[in-house]
Amino acid sequence: MRGNIQAVKQDLGCPKQNVLARALCGVAIPPLQAVSPRRPLRRQPLVLCSLLWLIAAVLGAMLAPYLTPVDPLTTDPSRALLPPGSGGLLGTDFLGRDVLARLLWGGRWTLGMGVGALTLAVVIGLPLGLAAGSAGGWLDGFLMRLVDAWLAFPGLLLAMAGVAVLGPGLSSVTVAVGLAAAAPYARVVRAAARAIRAQPYIEAARAIGASPWRIALRHILPNTAPALLAFAATQLGWVLLNGAALHFLGLGVPPGVPEWGAMLAEGRAYLRDAPWAAVFPGAALTLTILAANLLGDRLGQH
Amino acid sequence: MRRRLLVLLVAAALATGCTPQPGGRIVYGLTLAPSGIDPHINASSELGIPLTSVYDTLVYQDPKTGEFVPGLAQQWEVSEDGKVYTFYLRRGVKFHDGTPFNAEAVRFNLERIVSPDLASQRARFMLGPYERTEVVDEYTVRIILREPFAPLLDSLSQVYLAMASPTAVQQWGSEYQLHQVGTGPFIFVEYVPGDHLLLRRNPNYAWGPPVYQHRTAQLEEVEFRFFTDPATRSPALESGAADVMGEIPPQDAARLQGSADFRIEAVAIPGVSLMLFMNTTRSPLDDINVRQALLFGTDRKAIISAVFRDTSPVACGPLAAATFGYNPMVCQFYQPYNPDQAAALLEEAGWKDTDGDGVRDKDGQPLVLDFYLMGWGYMPEVGQLIADQWARLGVRVQSQVVSYPEALEIAKEGRHHLMPFNLSGSDPDILRRFFHSQGGFNWSKVNDPEMDRWLEEGARVSDRNRRADLYAKVQDRVMESALIIPIRDYVNLNGVSNRVQGLRFDARGWFPWLIDVTLRR
Repeated sequence: MRGNIQAVKQDLGCPKQNVLARALCGVAIPPLQAVSPRRPLRRQPLVLCSLLWLIAAVLGAMLAPYLTPVDPLTTDPSRALLPPGSGGLLGTDFLGRDVLARLLWGGRWTLGMGVGALTLAVVIGLPLGLAAGSAGGWLDGFLMRLVDAWLAFPGLLLAMAGVAVLGPGLSSVTVAVGLAAAAPYARVVRAAARAIRAQPYIEAARAIGASPWRIALRHILPNTAPALLAFAATQLGWVLLNGAALHFLGLGVPPGVPEWGAMLAEGRAYLRDAPWAAVFPGAALTLTILAANLLGDRLGQH
Repeated sequence: MRRRLLVLLVAAALATGCTPQPGGRIVYGLTLAPSGIDPHINASSELGIPLTSVYDTLVYQDPKTGEFVPGLAQQWEVSEDGKVYTFYLRRGVKFHDGTPFNAEAVRFNLERIVSPDLASQRARFMLGPYERTEVVDEYTVRIILREPFAPLLDSLSQVYLAMASPTAVQQWGSEYQLHQVGTGPFIFVEYVPGDHLLLRRNPNYAWGPPVYQHRTAQLEEVEFRFFTDPATRSPALESGAADVMGEIPPQDAARLQGSADFRIEAVAIPGVSLMLFMNTTRSPLDDINVRQALLFGTDRKAIISAVFRDTSPVACGPLAAATFGYNPMVCQFYQPYNPDQAAALLEEAGWKDTDGDGVRDKDGQPLVLDFYLMGWGYMPEVGQLIADQWARLGVRVQSQVVSYPEALEIAKEGRHHLMPFNLSGSDPDILRRFFHSQGGFNWSKVNDPEMDRWLEEGARVSDRNRRADLYAKVQDRVMESALIIPIRDYVNLNGVSNRVQGLRFDARGWFPWLIDVTLRR
């Protein structure tokens, strides 16, 4: 019966290629024994570039004080809106602050928020999905209906509602985005867990009297890990995008903080006269989200 | 002969080609979509931009002289005790739906405004201590007040107290805002909330105030559209999607000013300047030395140049310079920018950086100020610049953006150190709301009995010189006591296509007199 339902769902237009997207659609992830042959990284320039960009962004944020001597908050109206070159490598914004310094420092807020929100999504989504997928039965039904209700709202809307409840600020954006991302994560974990649960070795473990806890934690969890990692990478892009959107809308960091989304919002007013103030934070966001998605996609193909 | 013909032809070409012609339509860009546009109910300034041309008011204020001139009332008298206003109404005035305008219509409108069922957000308060309206005869009406109220004529000259057709109001009830009927130079055709509002010329209009230059409207139609995102306003104007656009961002205004097809009409708006209220009841701002230090330590010229591109003047005190009763003497206070004096004042008050972290402290407490601001009116931009200026003084600012209702709540509880605000209004009585101990916007938490008395008397006496004296004293006191940090006078930068001629604004600075607008072809 279950199999039939899944077949129907597949026919109803679940994506055929990407296992993770199909898992979101409710289709069980096939067991992972048949891994496609790996191509070396250097043969995949896009993935390599993505990886390098993410590493560069993280390093840039971590080493910001050593990479630029300029303080990202120091204003100097006499140097306002200078183009790249005469106003530092990437120009200055409307208050004369150095765009490069702000970009580097801003990575701390943007990427930090992304990692924080993703961690939260995993911390909440993983136990939920694992419990539902390993236990099955009424618990599965109950938890998945909950997740369905959660998924019924667009993620950004859910995150905005979260910020409305928690009040604006970096931590509430992180929590709201993380909570919104937890539901799809739980759904993917559950699909992966169900696939593994059907394996003969799980049945064997059960036959020799292993407790459900032991089966879930020792047998199912380690075997779902690759899929979960891949999905986390894809979700990093989603989390970054929505977090930046909230900051862009002014629901996040206080004015002046060089978060990329907030920089984009501020620079937008000067797009005609000083495009660099908006283009560089926008490009940084785009590239980071693209890189996270490409990496996640590549991981998901295995 | 041929030559004469040529001259005639040239003259004809000049006459048709270069002088303004009646007719045509323009698109007027509004900057926010009000939640409601019934002037008797809603408080938005934006609604007055179209509706000033749909309605007439009993009196008008000449923006040049500040004097009140006849509108729907041809003459008026004020009783000796200032409590009874008698208006002699113009005859032969008809609403757009044919209803005659008379004393009963005036009574109907004023009673509607004060009726508790209407829950008026603005108009009701503009009537002050209103008691009732008496119809003396068909064209004579008396407004009776419980106590004298000097700003009454100013109120009656605004669209919020405009005369609406009693027939239409009764017919449409709560739907009236979509079917407004006045006596003005333009007829309200349709309003699709959030999309557009359309006005058409009233061909029968013949009772305009002397401040109007034409007898009837020159344009056939005016369409209002909403451009709520500031970044879209200048592109809309330049692409021809709008012919007039309010509140152009300063950086775009500079570019438009240099173009051959557009101009910027900068209108100084009277009222309360953009200013930071300092909570005088919360430490450390309960110390006047600290407040004065912050005033000396704020480089307002730099703010005006960076955020407003020098399009608006530095504010000296609580009242914008364009307001009646403005006291230019306040400009002597806390000028010019002097960070050394600011530092000296802070030292004197006992705030020193003893632990070398760049933030001053006293008795183990760092000098950190809670700064709540709203996300509009350039407050975040101004806030950032101030935070950085004060950081150099050793004062740390924790800013947070809040919504307007949250701001009201915070102010009520006094949780703020600093909170900025500005409000437009043409009568200096507006100061009572901010600096009277019982004022609704008393965000400085000031309690000065002498200032209370001046403000109360200012609202009562009708003699303009006496009022100007009183408000001059109030402005001096506000600055002496360092209750606020004035930032800038509001200037509305209207972007106007050069094909639009004759655009003028009323004494409020916000509301255009569209009757005189013509198109150059």
